Amino acid sequence: MNERFSKFNTGLLADRKITQLMIFTALTFFILSYVSKDIFFTSANFISMSYQIPEIAILSIALMLSMLTGGIDLSIVSISNAAALVASWVMTTKMGDSENLSNKWIIIACVLGTVVGVLAGAVNSILIARLNVTPILATLATMTLFNGIAIGMTNGESVSGLPEQFMRVGNGTFFGIPTPFVLMIFIAIAVGFLINRTTLGLKVFLVGTNRKAAQYSVMGDRKVIAWVYLISGLLSSLAGLIIASRTSAASPDFGSSYILLAIVIVVLGGVNPNGGFGTVTGVILATAVLQMVASGFNALRYSQFFYLAAQGGVLIFVMILNVVLERRRVNRSIAKSLRS
Amino acid sequence: MVTLLTAEYGVENIVKSFGGARALSGVSLSVKGGEVHCIAGENGSGKSTLIKIMSGVHAPDSGLIRLGDKSFTQLSPREAVREGVQVIFQDFSLLPNLTVAENIALPTYILKNSRLLSKKQTNQLATNALDLIGVDIDINAPVADISIASKQLIAIARATNLGVKMLFMDEPTTALTRKEIKRLFEVVEQIKARGVATVFVSHKIDEIQEICNTITILRNGEVVSDGMMKDFKRQGISQAMTGLDVSETRIAPKLKKSNDKVIEVKNLTTKPTFSNVSFSIAPGEILGMTGLLGSGRTELAEAIFGQYPVDSGEVIVDGKPIHLNSSSAALKAGIGYVPPDRLTQGLFLEQSILNNLVAVGIDQYQSSGGRLAKSRLAEAGDRWIKDLRIKTKNPLNPVSSLSGGNQQRVVLAKWLAMNPHLMILNGPTVGVDIGSKREILEIIRDRAQEGMSFLVVSDDIPELIQICHRVIVIKNGQISKEFSEEQLDETVLYKELS
Amino acid sequence: MDFKKLLLRNETALIIAIVILSLVIGAKSPEFFTLANLFDIFRSSFVQLLFALGVLIVIISGGIDVSFPAVGIFAGYTSVVLMQHFEWNPENLLLPIALSIVIGTILGAINSIAIASFGIPTLIATLGTSGIFRGLMLTFIGSSFISDIPIALDKFATADLLKIQPEEGTLARLHILIIPIAIITILVSLLLTRTMFGRSVYALGGGVEATRRLGISIKRTQAKIYMLVGGLSGLAGILYVSLQRKANPYDLTGSELDIIAAVVLGGASIMGGYGTVFGTVLGVLLISLIKGNLILLGVSGSWQRAAVGALLVIGITVQAINESKKAKNRRVSTSDEAAE
Repeated sequence: MNERFSKFNTGLLADRKITQLMIFTALTFFILSYVSKDIFFTSANFISMSYQIPEIAILSIALMLSMLTGGIDLSIVSISNAAALVASWVMTTKMGDSENLSNKWIIIACVLGTVVGVLAGAVNSILIARLNVTPILATLATMTLFNGIAIGMTNGESVSGLPEQFMRVGNGTFFGIPTPFVLMIFIAIAVGFLINRTTLGLKVFLVGTNRKAAQYSVMGDRKVIAWVYLISGLLSSLAGLIIASRTSAASPDFGSSYILLAIVIVVLGGVNPNGGFGTVTGVILATAVLQMVASGFNALRYSQFFYLAAQGGVLIFVMILNVVLERRRVNRSIAKSLRS
Repeated sequence: MVTLLTAEYGVENIVKSFGGARALSGVSLSVKGGEVHCIAGENGSGKSTLIKIMSGVHAPDSGLIRLGDKSFTQLSPREAVREGVQVIFQDFSLLPNLTVAENIALPTYILKNSRLLSKKQTNQLATNALDLIGVDIDINAPVADISIASKQLIAIARATNLGVKMLFMDEPTTALTRKEIKRLFEVVEQIKARGVATVFVSHKIDEIQEICNTITILRNGEVVSDGMMKDFKRQGISQAMTGLDVSETRIAPKLKKSNDKVIEVKNLTTKPTFSNVSFSIAPGEILGMTGLLGSGRTELAEAIFGQYPVDSGEVIVDGKPIHLNSSSAALKAGIGYVPPDRLTQGLFLEQSILNNLVAVGIDQYQSSGGRLAKSRLAEAGDRWIKDLRIKTKNPLNPVSSLSGGNQQRVVLAKWLAMNPHLMILNGPTVGVDIGSKREILEIIRDRAQEGMSFLVVSDDIPELIQICHRVIVIKNGQISKEFSEEQLDETVLYKELS
Repeated sequence: MDFKKLLLRNETALIIAIVILSLVIGAKSPEFFTLANLFDIFRSSFVQLLFALGVLIVIISGGIDVSFPAVGIFAGYTSVVLMQHFEWNPENLLLPIALSIVIGTILGAINSIAIASFGIPTLIATLGTSGIFRGLMLTFIGSSFISDIPIALDKFATADLLKIQPEEGTLARLHILIIPIAIITILVSLLLTRTMFGRSVYALGGGVEATRRLGISIKRTQAKIYMLVGGLSGLAGILYVSLQRKANPYDLTGSELDIIAAVVLGGASIMGGYGTVFGTVLGVLLISLIKGNLILLGVSGSWQRAAVGALLVIGITVQAINESKKAKNRRVSTSDEAAE
């Protein structure tokens, strides 16, 4: 357990879980490259992966935040779609029949999208931090609500035909690197900084480890939790905007399987679903593993449904592994405490 | 009945290790039907492990469990119930969402292996069980809505129900008033007459001597002494339990006479928990507060700290009334609070010692833009580890790796770091070994000498006498009596308490 | 506050909500108050109710199950595929129903292993298995729509108990399923209130440690719960196929939200320990009512989901407020216990 948190002073590489994940990532990479040289191990595939990784990575980071506090935010995908829809609606309405839209309106649309995300996050915050609703239940309800509002507003149809300049963000490059990937790195660093280098971050870990003790330590546990769901909403909306920009469309049904995928990634990335432990690096690495598996499956012509089953399988396997390791650790620590 | 009375229940040469460390090394104990036996021992002596083995929670590594004619190498919880072993745990182990009747009747159904239950039979079983111990409780009420004293009685009614041959009672009198304890002892006498082997786990020596026939004293997983109760003297029992010649001399520092008040509590009321509680504490004074479980002592302490709602009244710190019902206001005014349960309320068990040490007032370590000043954090951690002599090699180890005494020091340190005017300590030495207890009391003394005031909430009377300048006793949510330094006396205090 | 009274209040509140909603809809469009419409609401509630009864049992025990739609459609679809493959086409329903229940129970057993043996948090475990079940079904069993379902199932879709032709308006058909569903509902209610197993489920939700100390096996109880829920879902799945007169492997996905919403609105506590069959029946009826008749209110059908979400948010908010009031009253008796 201490190894997992010693990054506090000794840097990322000392984190055993991360090291394990890195080895695992490398293994996945080499095996898939070996098995599918001509499709997986091609630059086209890598470029396509680097466009797909960011959106799911950002959603997973959002999910990680709520899981660090021992909660869960099931509404991330709904928020992401709602934000994308609002932004797209603004853009298409302002566009009229023309192909282009002034940058000013694109920025306004994006800002409105993030406002939607923050507002949705605020609803979660009120329910969870203020009214003490269990996070699972609260976000299950808001997931239905946000998704329902999005469907209601659009009649369940998707909005497409977004302006050229907006699409350039999701499909362009920045100094040769795909722009969404750059955005993801930026967000990952920001969130990493938030949880590891700020007082709020330390509080997040402590609240997630023991809410009761946090209450008695007067660190404003409600405020911490409220912030987490607010940020989770914001990050989800950013993911939504990136998705809209990459696919040039927004739909209330997009990514319905993403919530399972995000949970798989977060758990594989070493985040403890009971709260208190986890790293951004772990989540990013786990996203890379999952995305490689997805393209590998694709290259090997396995069906997308087999990939779905594999996701479920990985989730159950990692959880069982965690439980087994935890049992051994607990036995050892009982032994230790009795010896002393 | 005759066979029951001669039957013997107990264990032979039980050894139990957890991952290499011995919790019990060759413990034997035997209780006859119709006998009340006492198991005495400190925390970590193996009492609870023994109970868990007898009730089927743990399997022993070796040794035998003997229940009358039958011997077992291990029991499952179900077998234990079937063989008539019942345990009344300190927390009563009742299910809050089920009714009183169901809580009492369910074990009987399980015992009989019934798959179906009828409401009529459930009520009948419950009524009989309650009648047997002469108690009248609404059997259709959910347990969540029932008072602590009634819960205790329900737990007893349940355990004494059909088929119990060996009954463990873990600290059964903690929550009870003297009157209720009398009643409990009458009940124990009754079940004794029915041939039940009763085991009392308690550290209240007066009560043990009153009710028990025989005694076994455990220390570090071994039986250090056993025999007839009448052969033991009070001092002998506690010495055998601790293995030390316990000196409980007073260590409270001399209090300078002054009329200053660090804190004044005026007419604090939250009905029905407590009402019209008023007291004040001088600089450097250590005030003790005691009372039975459920007397309102914990709620009072938490109310002052803003963790328990207050209906009316005032808390005045340094002449200014503070905003009630807010812990952050209490913290700002200079009030600290060490809660009674270190593991669930005090510590972030899996987190590092360092993070635990700085958990209060994290914002102190904030530099520009909400950034965490890690070097200052580490410095503070090192300082407190040194100051309070917390035994650890690395402040980044999880706090769960520390012993009970060192863990308690961590909780203490995180509050001392705030340098409060008033420190409220609720059960400061619960579950701490004798040596650490002494050191913790000395820390309190030293700080008091420097002018910090303390409110020590505890049911450990000798401890209060050792450290406090003054003790108030809470009864039914009110101050029933105040004892000044000269009046502090164990027997008198115990008497006032119950 | 006496809990029984509170429960009563929760159920009365539901009845009042149903009555008011009916009156409002009825006032706007008189066709609401026809026998045909009532019977339609019943018909659309059958499958929902079966799923909901399973979910109720899980929620009372303190868990949550999101895999039941996957289990249901897996069992229903696979039964049809198996029957086609072996060219079984009996006149009576027994075979497909038995087949589907058996398959559902087996899938439930897999949930049991993950949850009871390894102690994986129930949400994560069932999310994982739901991916596995759906993925495996679509990869290995089939991914195409089957419209020529076995004759017995097809016939059963129109097996009416009652046909009433009012003087004017549409023919009102009461499906024969009303009888078996009513019997199953009563059986589940009896199971929960009158059997040791049922009380163990409540006990488990009330407190794991206290339940263990009663001599009730936690693992065995959990295993039974998830197998029973699997069986119920299997039955629901095959009935769904029959009523739809087609077997579509993509169906039921996403329906878990409506059903969990119904159970929660019915007064079951997501923390476990509380919940009644009667409340669940009302919850299912309320959701069916809203989903089926929103159009009569002049609200577009695309707002269905938002309405369910809003209802759920309101429901949990009210429950949370009640809970905190109750907790305040109860603090008196419990805070010391927690302390010792």
